[in-house]
Amino acid sequence: MTEEAAHEHDPLALESELPSSPMTVNLGPSHPAMHGTVRLVLKLEGETIVETVPEIGFLHRGFSKSSENSTWTQVLPYTDRLNYVSPYLNNVAYVMGVEKLIGLQIPERAEYIRVLTGELSRITDHLTCIGAIGLELGAFTVFLYAIEARELLWDRIAELSGARVTVSWMRVGGCANDLPPGWGEKLLECLPRVMELTSEIDVLLTRNRIFVDRTRDIGVIGADEALDWGFTGPCLRACGVNYDVRKAHPYSVYPRMDFEVPLGSRGDTYDRYVLRLEEIRQSHKIMLQCLEQMPPGPIIVDDWRYALPPKKDVFSSIEGVMAHFKLIMEGIQVPPGEIYAYCEGANGELGFHIVSNGKGKPYTIQVRAPGFPILSALPRLIKGHAVADIIPIFDSINMIGGEVEQ
Amino acid sequence: MAQALIDLLREAHPDAVLSTPGHRGDEVAVVRRERLVEVCRFLKEDPRADLKLLAQIAAVDLLTYATEATGGAALASNEVPAYDLEHKQPVEPRYHVAYNLGSVTKKHRLRLRVELRSDDMKVPTVTGIWRTADWWERYVYDMFGVEFVGHPNLTRIMMYPEFQGFPLRKDYPVRKRQPLVPELDFPDLVRGPGPGPGGAGVPMSQTHVGRANVDPDAYD
Repeated sequence: MTEEAAHEHDPLALESELPSSPMTVNLGPSHPAMHGTVRLVLKLEGETIVETVPEIGFLHRGFSKSSENSTWTQVLPYTDRLNYVSPYLNNVAYVMGVEKLIGLQIPERAEYIRVLTGELSRITDHLTCIGAIGLELGAFTVFLYAIEARELLWDRIAELSGARVTVSWMRVGGCANDLPPGWGEKLLECLPRVMELTSEIDVLLTRNRIFVDRTRDIGVIGADEALDWGFTGPCLRACGVNYDVRKAHPYSVYPRMDFEVPLGSRGDTYDRYVLRLEEIRQSHKIMLQCLEQMPPGPIIVDDWRYALPPKKDVFSSIEGVMAHFKLIMEGIQVPPGEIYAYCEGANGELGFHIVSNGKGKPYTIQVRAPGFPILSALPRLIKGHAVADIIPIFDSINMIGGEVEQ
Repeated sequence: MAQALIDLLREAHPDAVLSTPGHRGDEVAVVRRERLVEVCRFLKEDPRADLKLLAQIAAVDLLTYATEATGGAALASNEVPAYDLEHKQPVEPRYHVAYNLGSVTKKHRLRLRVELRSDDMKVPTVTGIWRTADWWERYVYDMFGVEFVGHPNLTRIMMYPEFQGFPLRKDYPVRKRQPLVPELDFPDLVRGPGPGPGGAGVPMSQTHVGRANVDPDAYD
């Protein structure tokens, strides 16, 4: 008697478990839910993920090698492209590193502008992350709200630097130019709308039954383990570890700012989402304080060894022409040394390991992208979950292909 | 505060620390390679150090580091090797592996450094101490060819498996190309042809990749 025939005569055969063997499935590299291009090789037991091998490098553009062959100022556009949703923060982290190597004190107004634009970028980064979580869990409205808010801020960024995403606006020693007249007022006009949209997102998602069911207790990681995997930023704070570079190693004018570091407790996808939402509110608070406290004054150091001279001097004095020529042709002469400079990026500690040998080009720059260690823990986070849970977990760690794959 | 950390390390492992060349507020401890794992475990587990966060593993190739400004390879080690700018003698130890460590409770930082000679590029792995070292060590292996002894899966991470050489070494040409599929002979109007597979300075159109695989009329 053949097997099929046996089933015909046995009514229980339909109820019995189907024979299953592990199946290997590719997710990505080119998949709408894989932000950037990362490939996950999943080993599935039915719907359950048994093993994952992430494969990265599809977006590798040789950031370090290119940087070694450009002047210190020419590296700035490369840093924009590391994390293209919060480019100001990348700019700031890099120029802070170069300034640390030089030992340069920058004008107070420039510090305020850096904190202001940095927090602006943090909001756009978090909005992108939250919007994507909503979008991929079926809440399209959330995505539209997040994008509307983000566009308002990107318009302000465009008015500042002329570019929406790839700003390259910071300079060693300060910023490229001052805030345009009336820019602060414009920002103050659009911020209430941004916060209103953030509240709308909050109302739509935070107590939404479907959303909570999809994210609560999904992708849980404990505090010790998260630290072991090198988590920083919102993903680490969602586990309850109070570590924020802005508070732990205060830089720039952050010590003067009054803000709180929100903490989670469970370390799951839901906590990571709520934390980002709360950080938007804190960033908003910091921005308002910046606008209030910002003093008038110069926005870049008056030292022609590091900063370009004003055009007036370039066109009217030989010293100005010389300084301009030297800076453009040879680059900033950064004293030799090796440093690791870090600041709080939108996704965690963003660091640059920089070595200079006293020439106009960096000797070595290696970036510590916050997403890199977090992505390496993705197999751990999604293990044992269903395939459908990959999407909210992957969204909540907010991997940015540009910085992870350099 | 971080100086206290170095004192602590010197006290606990007096023979493991070779020197402490800190710079601009960064505390650095140059550690003997054989003692690296021991030192790392001590720094992570001792409550006074509590360096639970391995932020980054980076590496430096010192081949062209020496300039008039640096006066020989001063970053390389305590004793400055004789270095002739004219004749480009090899620098030894040529490589550094730098471990940027941090503590989230004590709020201090430390960088460990291991120095490597180019004929013996082996470092014991620290994946048993920090899980995050897995990918960082793969990154350093991929870019510099440093072999991490005991690493569970030491394969390339950014580059493809067929890639030859290590791109961040200083003797790897910046415009060297290693395409997996033959490149089209498409002129670079701005920079001219790069050093193609035929060797440095050979125009792409004259290499075996350039013409043989492409229809000559395609781009003319």
